[in-house]
Amino acid sequence: MGVMRPELVMKSIVPVVMAGILGIYGLIIAVIISTGIDETTYTLFKGYAHLGSGLSCGLAGLGAGMAIGIVGDAGVRANAQQPRLFVAMILILIFAEALALYGLIVGIILAQKASSGS
Amino acid sequence: MGYGFEALTYNIKDGYLEGIVRGHKTGLLTAADYNNLCQCETLDDIKLNLTATDYGEYLKDVPATLNTSTIVERCTQKLVDDWSHMRAHADEQLGTFLDYCTYGHMIDNVVLIVTGTMHDRDHTELLEKCHPLGMFDSIATLAVATSMRELYRLVLIDTPLAPYFSMNLTSEDLDEMNVEIMRNTLYKAYLDDFAQVCQKIGGSTAEVMGDMLAFEADRRALNITLNSIGTELTFDDRRKLYSNFGLLYPHGHQELSMAEDFEQVRAAMEKCPAYIPIFSRMSYGESQMLDKLLYEEEVRRSVLTFEQQFHYGVFYAYMKLREQEIRNIMWIAECVSQDQKSRIHDGIVFVF
Repeated sequence: MGVMRPELVMKSIVPVVMAGILGIYGLIIAVIISTGIDETTYTLFKGYAHLGSGLSCGLAGLGAGMAIGIVGDAGVRANAQQPRLFVAMILILIFAEALALYGLIVGIILAQKASSGS
Repeated sequence: MGYGFEALTYNIKDGYLEGIVRGHKTGLLTAADYNNLCQCETLDDIKLNLTATDYGEYLKDVPATLNTSTIVERCTQKLVDDWSHMRAHADEQLGTFLDYCTYGHMIDNVVLIVTGTMHDRDHTELLEKCHPLGMFDSIATLAVATSMRELYRLVLIDTPLAPYFSMNLTSEDLDEMNVEIMRNTLYKAYLDDFAQVCQKIGGSTAEVMGDMLAFEADRRALNITLNSIGTELTFDDRRKLYSNFGLLYPHGHQELSMAEDFEQVRAAMEKCPAYIPIFSRMSYGESQMLDKLLYEEEVRRSVLTFEQQFHYGVFYAYMKLREQEIRNIMWIAECVSQDQKSRIHDGIVFVF
């Protein structure tokens, strides 16, 4: 892209950034979970709740990452040919990103459940 | 049969190009466009009508002295540009598949240049007449070869056509009959190879392309039979030129190779249920309509490939449909320029 249409390179980096955000979601959940772990009063219930929380965020991020990858690839190629597609590509990427966001929300709920209820 | 999961993985590599090819397909000329074209009085009208379609870009700056070959050349250029774009974006295995689609044109180009050289035609004129999708680097050096063995060793061994030459082919001299036999043998090897590649790709590509290539193989068998009735080609030689797959293989081939006139050919073909409708539309004893009916069948099958998603058959079908469209435009332009508009509907095959 940068060879033939250098002016579009920064716009084409958007899908990459969105994929990076998925990693940040994982980081958020990791921090939340790690504050709930302690040495002595870590019950089985808490352990499983944390496991569920991490898995829900991670697996949802996996699915969203695949979607963002496919859409980002096709969208960037199409945007190079037809600049009016930029907004459409961003819209589709946002919906794909939302999948990981839902995983993050469920993960946070589960992590809160771990620290509050027993 | 175990396919049906392509939806999970196809778009990872080929999603963009499937979208592109379907976009091109919606730009093909419809019956309404053909009706407009048929009502044109001059070539300028045709050009005007075509600039309103997808060909607009290519026909904008055509010089004032318009003739049919210019129009056809510009339209072919559009096909070549679309194809190059798709080939450039294609990942493996689609890249191999797209290359295979063009080997048929390569074979035709090789035969064109060899025949032209035999008749002492001018070199550059021949190169211009070659189909652009079938060009390869060393094509200009084909004129140097005087026998088939030289043809193979000097030029074709570096091209993708090399595996299609077998030992019994290279020992002949180049003359009219042998060049045709060479073309058909190469084409047979190419179709067999292409069918195997599609089977290896598997999934719905294997199924869809299997159908398309089977029809192509049967159609070539039919044409070889009809063209060799009355020539000195023996039955066994004729049989060797038929492909090793298709609905007619092997029993239909047995009958076809023995056929000596059109009625025997028709009897042999009608034993195969898929081809009965084609032959029933031709009245008894008439064989001129056969070409048009075969084109119609090919167009019908090509349009059907677009009904399914996540397979490579749509690219092959797009090439066939575009070529049929260019043939139609050429026919219309010729009829208009020669003032024979009554015959316009004899030669065109409606796509949509």
